Parts: sequence; C-alpha cells; structure tokens
Amino acid sequence: MVFDIVSSTLSSPLLEEKTELDEQLGTPWKVIVLNDPVNLMNYVVMVFKKVFGYNDTKATKHMMEVHEQGKSVLWVGEREQAENYAYQLQRWRLQTILEKDD
Amino acid sequence: MQVEARIIRAVLPELGKLFALSVKEEDYSDHFPDIDDPDFKEAWIEGLKQEAKDDRNALARLLKSPRFKYGRVEVKEDEVEDLLRGLTEIRFTIRKTSLKKLSDEELETGLADIPTKNPEVQIGFFAYLLMAEVQERLIQEIS
Repeated sequence: MVFDIVSSTLSSPLLEEKTELDEQLGTPWKVIVLNDPVNLMNYVVMVFKKVFGYNDTKATKHMMEVHEQGKSVLWVGEREQAENYAYQLQRWRLQTILEKDD
Repeated sequence: MQVEARIIRAVLPELGKLFALSVKEEDYSDHFPDIDDPDFKEAWIEGLKQEAKDDRNALARLLKSPRFKYGRVEVKEDEVEDLLRGLTEIRFTIRKTSLKKLSDEELETGLADIPTKNPEVQIGFFAYLLMAEVQERLIQEIS
C-alpha cells in the first residue's frame, strides 16, 4: 500500500486533540447582554462602566443598543475572560449570554 | 427621597413578603452559559448564590431600618453595591409576581393604567417604583 501521509484521511488523535485545543484557545467568544424590562438605564450604564472600565459615552452607547435592539455585544475575546465578564454581569443581574464568534 | 412616607409605609409589609419570596424562589440555573461542563456549572451557580446573600442582607438592613419608613435611606459606603444588586433582585421578584400581568412595554414606559388594576398590582407597582427610586438616588450619590 502506498499513500501520502500528509494527505491521509486517517484520523489522528494528536491532530484531533490539537484542533480541539486550538478551537478552545483560539475561537473568540462574545459577551452579549440582553434587554430586560426591569433594570434602569443608569443602572446598566453604571454596571458597564464598573465591569469593563468603559467611559460614560461608550457605556451609554452599549446601554442604548441593549434597549433599542434587544442586545449588545459588550466584549469579544478569549473564553476565560469572556466567562469572567459574563459572571460579573450576572452578579449585577444583567441577562448575559456567551456565544462563539464564528 | 421624593416619595411620600405614607406610600412607603403602605408598601413595606408587601416588600417584606416579596423579600421572603425572592429568597425562597432564587434560581440561577438559567444563568449559566451554554457550555457543557457540569462541574463548572455547579461552581458558577453556587458562586452567584453565595454572593447574592450579601446583596439580600444589605436590602434587609434597609427594609428593617426604623428610618426607612420615613423616607430616609442610610447605607454604609461599602454596602452600596450590595444594596443596588439587592434592589434589582427584589424588583425582578416583583416583576415575576405582583406585576406578572403587566406587559414589558407598560412597565418600561410607565404607562400602565394602575388605578384600574387590582390592589395587589397597585401595591406591587408602588413597591417596584419605590425600589427603583432608591436605586436612582444611590446611583446619583455614587456617580
């Protein structure tokens, strides 16, 4: 049997592992805040400033996006940090989800 | 505070009940991101539960304060954030219970025709607004 090892379609555990690891480390994650009818606008602005260190203008822009479009992407980046931000936002009772940035 | 003290005294008993309800019905299971990791999920939810206790304690101190029924809000500086979160939690509880028949739009615009609603909704609505007023003032104070 003759075959080219580079173009082999046989699965390699090592390659699969690397792919999975790359995916976990490399794929950016989005931190998304959803609108809710309860939280006050100035409360949401305050939370964005506290959690992300945004200035008033940027925090207000994201708050308005949440209010008018139903959601806003607050941050995109490494998964661990995205989880950290999502946890902090949920601690402040903001409805927050994480999505892969495909 | 720009709220009549008699309104505060009228809604305080209801706030006490709602506070107890928010403790009883706490549920963070839908807060976890869509990640398949049971251990991480448990730690995440448990963390939120534990930290929510401080928030509720700060709110309990406000509601039990003898001066609050006269409109005075007294809170230690290092408890302001806890109280802000506690106020949010009880507003969510009011939303899900006393005000469940109101639409999001009615609530967000404040255009709900409250005088025509039943007493439970009316008291719930005033409690909801009172908690929002305290939040507004706290945010102004720390800004």
